[in-house]
Amino acid sequence: MQEEKLYNIAENWFKGQGWQPFPFQRKTWAAFLQGKHGLLNAPTGSGKTYALWFPIVLNYIKDNPDYKKRHKKGLKAVWITPLRALSQEIKQSAEKVTQDLGTSLSVGIRTGDTSTRERAQQRKTMPDLLITTPESLQLLLATKGYAAIFKDCSAIVIDEWHELLGTKRGVQVELGLSRLKTISPKLRIWGISATIGNLEQARQVLLGPESKAYQKSVMIKANLKKKITVRSIIPKKMETFPWRGHLGIRLLDDVIPILKKSKTTLLFTNTRSQCEIWFQKILERYPEFAGEIAMHHGSIDKDTRLWVEQAIRNESLTAVVCTSSLDLGVDFAPVETVIQIGGPKGVARFFQRAGRSGHRPGEESVIYFLPTHAIELIEASALQKALRTQTVEDRIPYLNSFDVLVQYLITLAVSDGFLPAEIYPEVAQTFCYQGMSEEQWQWLLNFIVLGSQSLQSYDEYKKVEVDETGLLKVTNRGIAMRHRFQIGTIVGDANLSVRYQKGGYIGSIEEWFISKLNPGDVFTFAGKNLEFIRIREMQVLVRKSRKRTNKVPSWMGGRLTLSSEMSKLLREELYSANAANDDQSVEIASLGHIFDQQKRESIVPNPDQFLVESFQTSDGYHHIFYPFEGRFVHEAMGSLLGYRISLLQPITFSLAFNDYGFELLSDKEVDIKNVIDNNLFTTEYLLEDLQKSLNATEMARRRFRDIAVISGLVFSGYPKKGIKMKHLQSSSQLLFDVFRDYEPDHLLYQQAFRETFEHQLEEGRLRIAMERIDRQEIIWKKCKQPTPFSFPIITDRLSRERLSSEPLEDRIRRMAAKLMKK
Amino acid sequence: MNYALTIEDHHFELHPSGALFWPREEMLLISDVHLGKVTHFRKFGAAVPPSLIRKNFDLLDRVMDEFTPSHLCFLGDLFHSNINSEWQIFEKWVAGTSGDITLVTGNHDIISPLKYESLGIVSKEEYVRNNFYFTHEPSKRTGMFNISGHIHPAVRLKGKGRQSIKLPCFFKSRDQMILPAFGKFTGTHVLPVKSDSEVFACTRTEVLKI
Repeated sequence: MQEEKLYNIAENWFKGQGWQPFPFQRKTWAAFLQGKHGLLNAPTGSGKTYALWFPIVLNYIKDNPDYKKRHKKGLKAVWITPLRALSQEIKQSAEKVTQDLGTSLSVGIRTGDTSTRERAQQRKTMPDLLITTPESLQLLLATKGYAAIFKDCSAIVIDEWHELLGTKRGVQVELGLSRLKTISPKLRIWGISATIGNLEQARQVLLGPESKAYQKSVMIKANLKKKITVRSIIPKKMETFPWRGHLGIRLLDDVIPILKKSKTTLLFTNTRSQCEIWFQKILERYPEFAGEIAMHHGSIDKDTRLWVEQAIRNESLTAVVCTSSLDLGVDFAPVETVIQIGGPKGVARFFQRAGRSGHRPGEESVIYFLPTHAIELIEASALQKALRTQTVEDRIPYLNSFDVLVQYLITLAVSDGFLPAEIYPEVAQTFCYQGMSEEQWQWLLNFIVLGSQSLQSYDEYKKVEVDETGLLKVTNRGIAMRHRFQIGTIVGDANLSVRYQKGGYIGSIEEWFISKLNPGDVFTFAGKNLEFIRIREMQVLVRKSRKRTNKVPSWMGGRLTLSSEMSKLLREELYSANAANDDQSVEIASLGHIFDQQKRESIVPNPDQFLVESFQTSDGYHHIFYPFEGRFVHEAMGSLLGYRISLLQPITFSLAFNDYGFELLSDKEVDIKNVIDNNLFTTEYLLEDLQKSLNATEMARRRFRDIAVISGLVFSGYPKKGIKMKHLQSSSQLLFDVFRDYEPDHLLYQQAFRETFEHQLEEGRLRIAMERIDRQEIIWKKCKQPTPFSFPIITDRLSRERLSSEPLEDRIRRMAAKLMKK
Repeated sequence: MNYALTIEDHHFELHPSGALFWPREEMLLISDVHLGKVTHFRKFGAAVPPSLIRKNFDLLDRVMDEFTPSHLCFLGDLFHSNINSEWQIFEKWVAGTSGDITLVTGNHDIISPLKYESLGIVSKEEYVRNNFYFTHEPSKRTGMFNISGHIHPAVRLKGKGRQSIKLPCFFKSRDQMILPAFGKFTGTHVLPVKSDSEVFACTRTEVLKI
């Protein structure tokens, strides 16, 4: 069939709906039908699904001109979505296209929720179009004869690629694609991504930086200009608005009129605990909202979440208090207004949330910004600027994630086995493993075959075996079964499920929170007051309680930090405090009295200045530094500086930090002039000093948990544990200690440290920040009392870390003395 | 460095490895070695470092050389699970030792007592000598002092500014002493410290009274 005729089919369908295709949709159709790969940059709700479902179906029509009479069986396209919850909607739009165009193409879903029966059915006959998740794709590669399934596959679409990029699930996708490129010769690879700073790199990661696919690919941008209006909720009495805080409840009364005049409002909070508290407080003060507001976050049971999502669509809710759990996908047309409580910490996230409102094309998106403390209004102002300048942050992809590669190689060994010589070039072509050396590759092969780097006497290690043809294969059924089970695990903190004693799942909660509770304690969860009874087999048993409580679980994973783009904007906004009133934003102007107070005691720095303040209180000597780089960078920089100062004089610090700066608190005064003269902000020996200064081992230990599960070093989450399984239980903690003591050059152990520095401490950002400070003039102000800038930092009791260079035995003796005092 | 402790008028030595020596009886007490655990894991596909296997036996050699006991008593969980190739190493190790060996059986000891008997090792559920009686799981009996294992006790020390260290320990109360796990591939369980508890923490080289 001629191309023109094909396009007409699509154009006519749009006309039939009363729509007209966007230019980006037409461009995508054309590129796809020319056999190109690509990355489509389009926001949610823009019609991106039609941009790719159409050419997939048109391509089938082209290859099968008698498509209306005869149906050619077999998998034709795979659609990967990061969230299972989205698969239903994607299926609906796909089915609409396939049916309206008169094809008999079937659409199927395969995720963790798919029943075993349906899976077996699919294995026999695959649907024509398959919607699945990265984990389920990986599981398909663990199926015997998987190559046959994919042999005629014409397309794979990775939806919400920006969400996967920068995660290990993204690496899983990279590896899956590297295999499909070989076994599906007709395959086109397409990613769909919201706007991020490193879109071009996102395309490289998707297709492989030097690959043929990359050379034969395009980038298509939707360029849909959506009007977004940001309105800051500025406290009426700015003078009494607190200098610190993180909940924002004080402005609750200002939110109510907004809720009342809007059809449906989403209130985005930054953490699940904040979400719980807001929900409670609204109902406490405005009981008339009962039944009209709901709560949505990742720890709440799935059915409740689905119910809430459906209720938003039905327009039966006035407001939903939520977290990033509602950031993605799912079209909610009735949402008119969005309120962001507290700094969103990232521009992309803020835009995405703003886009939740006024979802219909052409409609304006309105987002209110509610500050939780005064200084946060600077963030609001910075966000407005980001909107004007279209500044968005990067998503940093992982490099050399050996744990994911180990899992992938065993996956291939479980299905049909693999020849290293065939797989190596595929893996080496991916972005993640482009820098992997051949020694490292050999190390990994030894690891999965020998379980170590050399043959040991008496060893009974069994996992992957090498047959006489050199094929690496898993023959043991138990190992294969355990491996398949492990692929589906999305790693996170150890979670326990919360259930009523009489049955009924409420949600999941992090273990460390429960460990602080005693039986009989009451806590708030999922909007209910619950009494803790006991823990049984990874389950927290509770009953409803009428008692009031202020215990709200907080989730460690919920901590967000300012992105580097956001921090830059923040600094720029701050500098504008020194500008004339007319050049200031409303938010900055409203902070006038705070800046005045700051200037009385200290200064508001200019772009070429770096501010350090010191003062004394009953707590000791405070030394405050203001890099404005986000809490992770501050944690690292504070530790580093503390360490370097402790080399000049014997001293012990306690370190506190937030998104704006960090504090070194001590019982001794530090001469900041000494810090400047000794050039302590230098980037020389940065990594070495950082390693010595931080409790890098503890941070790496936490990182190692995921690595141990992904690479199959520990078994997690078996449904039934017999005695045999019990004897196989161990913790990643124990393994971490074992590697530290006996095999410190183990690649997976070292990966834990590498990830700590690259992804957690953001060493790269730290370096850039310190280079910037190096070019600035350091202004040291000795103040008589705490300044407004310092206030949120010095009152932060949550994130204090202690820095000390005393030997372990001494520390134990001192702590022991404390223990006895109890 | 060992720690000297007097229990019920008897002199004992606490070794950083977790072994307890009773000089008057020339008896060495060791609990929770979990031999075969590394191999058990490896057999099921978890690549725990194989060098650990040797480490357990090296450590056993070290304490045997240091104390040269005439009686060695294992307080349970000597082997982690079913028999595997580490049994052969153990056989050789036993052949190289002199003196009696007793195994007070623990919950993990599922290998047949006949197998132990063939190596000259007597296994029993508890063992009494003088006023002391030895079990795997901690137990109470009036007028007797109980020495046991099973718990893998550890103590968590906390300092200012969220500092915290977890160390394996000998955990003593009025009429009871729980030994730390001797094995290199064993976890620990933090016990709450009560008013009558005495805690002796093990670092790599020292036993410190807390």
